[in-house]
Amino acid sequence: MSSEPLLSVRGLNAAVEGFQVTEDIDLDVNAGEAVGLVGRNGAGKTSTFRGIMGLTPVWSGSVKFRGEELTDIRSELIPKRGIGYQPEDRKLFTGMTVDENFRLPIWTSGKARGIDDEDAVVESVYDVLTELDDRRNAKVQNLSGGQAKMVAIGRALALQPDLLILDEPLEGLAPVVVENLKRYIRAINDRDIAVLIAESNVTHVPEVVDRLYVIERGDIIASGDPAELAADEDIQKLMQGSGAE
Amino acid sequence: MAVSATAALVQTLNGIQFGFILFMIASGLTVILGILDVLNLAHGELFSLGAYTAIGVFGFIIGVIGPPGGGVVGTVVFVLAVIAAVLVTAAILLPVGTIFEAVFLRQIYDRDQVYQLVLTFALLLILLDVKKFIWGDSSIRTDAVYSAINTIPTSELVGLNYPTYNVFVILVGSAVVAGLFWFFERTKTGRIIRATAIDREMATAIGVSTDRVFTLVFALGAFLAGFAGAMAVPPTSATLEMGTNPLVLSFVVIVIGGLGSLRGAFVGALLVGVIRSWMITLYPPGEIAAPFAIMALILLVKPEGLFGTWGETA
Repeated sequence: MSSEPLLSVRGLNAAVEGFQVTEDIDLDVNAGEAVGLVGRNGAGKTSTFRGIMGLTPVWSGSVKFRGEELTDIRSELIPKRGIGYQPEDRKLFTGMTVDENFRLPIWTSGKARGIDDEDAVVESVYDVLTELDDRRNAKVQNLSGGQAKMVAIGRALALQPDLLILDEPLEGLAPVVVENLKRYIRAINDRDIAVLIAESNVTHVPEVVDRLYVIERGDIIASGDPAELAADEDIQKLMQGSGAE
Repeated sequence: MAVSATAALVQTLNGIQFGFILFMIASGLTVILGILDVLNLAHGELFSLGAYTAIGVFGFIIGVIGPPGGGVVGTVVFVLAVIAAVLVTAAILLPVGTIFEAVFLRQIYDRDQVYQLVLTFALLLILLDVKKFIWGDSSIRTDAVYSAINTIPTSELVGLNYPTYNVFVILVGSAVVAGLFWFFERTKTGRIIRATAIDREMATAIGVSTDRVFTLVFALGAFLAGFAGAMAVPPTSATLEMGTNPLVLSFVVIVIGGLGSLRGAFVGALLVGVIRSWMITLYPPGEIAAPFAIMALILLVKPEGLFGTWGETA
């Protein structure tokens, strides 16, 4: 593991509609690592991720990816640098098939990512997300909620990223689907792709991630071993307030 | 009023022909609206500029090659000159659209829509003055071109006396429709544009340069409007105000079809074209009102238009 983190966020103050919503966020993800960011609804997880992806204004702070400052570059260049993003509300390209959703990132960023064989990359995505293998030509609006989440993850994975940012990939899904998705996320991480996962349910992530951050009111309030933090009574009480906001 | 079968067929064909012209204008307008979220009031002037430019290009071509002689060879040369003029005109409109988007519209995307309306209205007035400056304010008749092409017998072969130029417009219009749907359904660039229309932010998150897409879409819209102008002018004449009526009818078309829907623009354009044409025969005073009545009816029954928004249903 290199001494410099793959992703290094320092003092990130992201804003939404003119209001600051994160408070000096510090967060690191090392190459090949799986990191969790848990917090209640409205705690600032999505805004942190959107700030990293350049999708919301960053008032101050730094986001470095492989040492390069991302807050200085245009947001469409960030995926080309190697960050795949699955947004909380999936944002699939409806009216198109699963296959088209996987190919679009390759068409737009494949050259920058050094992808020569489009078909091979798409096949490698189906190799991970096996449940979608027989749904290739299905229009994405006809998929179940779990399958739609998988397509959103697969679309980000098709970039052949070094870091995959997943915003609440397990939220609102049936337990059996959650288990499948956890298996897929572990398989992705086993390919040496670093994963940064946000969840509002602290019990979901310990078995998937190596390290955990806890965010509350836009501020990181704890970090460390996932199992220890998940067992911490204060954090459990805090997380039980999930949905209250 | 009794209408013979032949007259009914001719009026329907006239409507379809006008519908294809309308589609070429409205498709650009609706795609620009669907992706850039800009209602381009200058779109009718791009159509008009296409008509004037085509006349200029055609005149230049004839000046270079000399007046076509009579007979089959002369007519073929004439038709080829018209086709070349239409294509060159559309090609000229491409950079015009590119400059409009990159120089003017790009500066105001994050502002209120009122700014867009004011800016595109200003562009409309500027284009109007540019035409007046270059071509003067008298109308330019082009019926010689129309008559020359109509000497080619086409519909007579199936027992119908129908202008060949109109058949030509229907065929070219069909090819444009097929080409546009192929572009947006099958090509990578077309699908990237659709993805941008569906979710601009997510498109950015997979690496789409929205600036490039916006420029491309506006240039494509200008190309189509210019193409439509060049195709529409021979049966009529070029006048300074010729962009107004098609612009208004294009608004009707895209409201009927669904704001931003390409398929909706196609169905809406044919519907407006045929209804308008039939009203000319059945009740001429209703020609102008009929498309608006249809629009009002559809807004009452299906406020989002026949096909909803673009991108998903391209």
